[in-house]
Amino acid sequence: MGKPQKITLKEAGALISNGSMLSFSGFTIWRRPMALIYELVRQGKKDLHLFEVNGGTHTEVLAGAGAIKIWESCWVGHELYGKLGEAVARGQCENTMIVEDYSHGQAVARLLAGAYGLPFFPTALSMGTDILNPRFDMLDKAGLRDGSNPKIPLKKYTVAQDPFFGMGEILLMPAAKPDWAIVYASQVGDEGTVRVNAQTYTDAEVIKAADRVIVLAEEIVPDSYLRTEPEKNIAPGYTIDYLVELPWSAHPTGSQGYYDVDADFIRSFYAASKSKAGYDQWAEEWIFGVNGHEEYLAKLGITRMEKLRANKVMGYSTRVKRGSR
Amino acid sequence: MTASNDLAKPGEYKPIDLLAVAAAREVKDGDIVFAGTGLPMLAIMLAQQSIAPNAVCIYEAGSIDGRPIDLPTSVGDARCAYQASVAAGLTEAFYGQLHCGYVDLAFLGGAEIDKYGNVNTTVVGDYCSPEKRFTGSGGNPDINALARRTVFIMVQEKRRFKENVDYITSPGWRLPKWPSGEMAPKQEVYGSFFRGGVEAVITNMGVFRFDDQGLMYLDTVHPGFTPEQVKENCSFDLNISRVSGETKPPSYRELELLYTVVDPEGIFLP
Repeated sequence: MGKPQKITLKEAGALISNGSMLSFSGFTIWRRPMALIYELVRQGKKDLHLFEVNGGTHTEVLAGAGAIKIWESCWVGHELYGKLGEAVARGQCENTMIVEDYSHGQAVARLLAGAYGLPFFPTALSMGTDILNPRFDMLDKAGLRDGSNPKIPLKKYTVAQDPFFGMGEILLMPAAKPDWAIVYASQVGDEGTVRVNAQTYTDAEVIKAADRVIVLAEEIVPDSYLRTEPEKNIAPGYTIDYLVELPWSAHPTGSQGYYDVDADFIRSFYAASKSKAGYDQWAEEWIFGVNGHEEYLAKLGITRMEKLRANKVMGYSTRVKRGSR
Repeated sequence: MTASNDLAKPGEYKPIDLLAVAAAREVKDGDIVFAGTGLPMLAIMLAQQSIAPNAVCIYEAGSIDGRPIDLPTSVGDARCAYQASVAAGLTEAFYGQLHCGYVDLAFLGGAEIDKYGNVNTTVVGDYCSPEKRFTGSGGNPDINALARRTVFIMVQEKRRFKENVDYITSPGWRLPKWPSGEMAPKQEVYGSFFRGGVEAVITNMGVFRFDDQGLMYLDTVHPGFTPEQVKENCSFDLNISRVSGETKPPSYRELELLYTVVDPEGIFLP
């Protein structure tokens, strides 16, 4: 495969069919592909199967819309700006969503196996916890570990004996191989080379583990520019299938070097997400009430966006008000 | 710094200040610390400014030995990576640093805890049909599993200090060994991967530690509380026979550091 194909946000949304298994770039409230998340809700996607090493605001936007059938992860919330994942919590407590919990490190193990073409990855992380309680294997309880869905492993995990050094019991975690990786990246070259600023999270692993990859780029730059410092790049262009150039497409999550987390926006989403009616009203205003990303940005307004804009030296905004002082 | 090392008097500091200061005092100079979001961040940054200038901090999103000058609000915050030795990702943090054995101290929070130090951050009620969902494990159990020492920072409430937690998210000293579920000491469950475990729990009322059997006891009680009051705020029969005294209050210098250097924006502190 060669260069990624440039498409629009609407076209990117249309590629995702109901029931697809998705994974995302970013970490909790940083570098999430929010513009495409909104577009998936706008297009009314259903029965999505999310595998993500951690959730965040984007998870809650999908969960609130009733778009998620299966959520395999370890954490959901909005960090300091919303302490719980209210929509996922409703889904789990009301049994409208299948929630399969792993630990963070175990979820990374699953993704590593998927990324490196291995059937499983060993780990000693989080042994002796209820994450491993067979009674709490919810995909098994739902009868979904019967092999009929190639994206769902036959077991949640297994315990093996170290065959080489006599280190005893260790967990084997099955590979996660999503249908799609939906990634937000700082810069993408015109030939598809991907660069992210600062922490890399699990972005490179998500790209490798997925069958197909859509990248939302904050900006598209000449590949020759990114190739002068190849050590800063996380993926070559041939691993990327589709590319959408879309500035501010991670908002309200943050993007190192471009803009900070929009704390007030997330706080008000979190407040709204505490009830289905509150979520619906919020979605009417910010998702269905705008016809796309440009209208969304116009609604945000330049004053708000300038406050969030990252200081070029520090990589984050030094003007945004975060605390009580 | 103009403030002295004299200790503040009751009324001159808030409960959250003492929580952060008591936690910071658990850091040894040179420790490699793996910290979670919130109070653990305040505590490690205060420790680095005071008693442990050579302590190093790792955050699970991938910043290794960052030197933030603005308090992060998430372990994935751009601020965590400021002046970092390495800005990598989760694979490096969980496997390249933690699993391979670099981490001395885990600095974490929790919603509920039991007498063996097992912590729940996942659900209230039966997992298959819960009454309430918390955030979930995050990296809490991983970091706690393989660090040499763990300090939990928590709110003291009767409903949070339980005989048995509803869900063991993060491993204490006595655990189910899966797939059988038979209870066993942490040493046995982790076998050759065992490196240590929960050393202290710090709340707004006291500092707790664990005996040879892995059972929690009250070590020091914060000024203004009695051991009996702490016991009343515990659902299990808390051992208060080993109380070594009162928790040392914050010094004026520690308070100044907290409010002017660590969290001047009022992100976690009021």
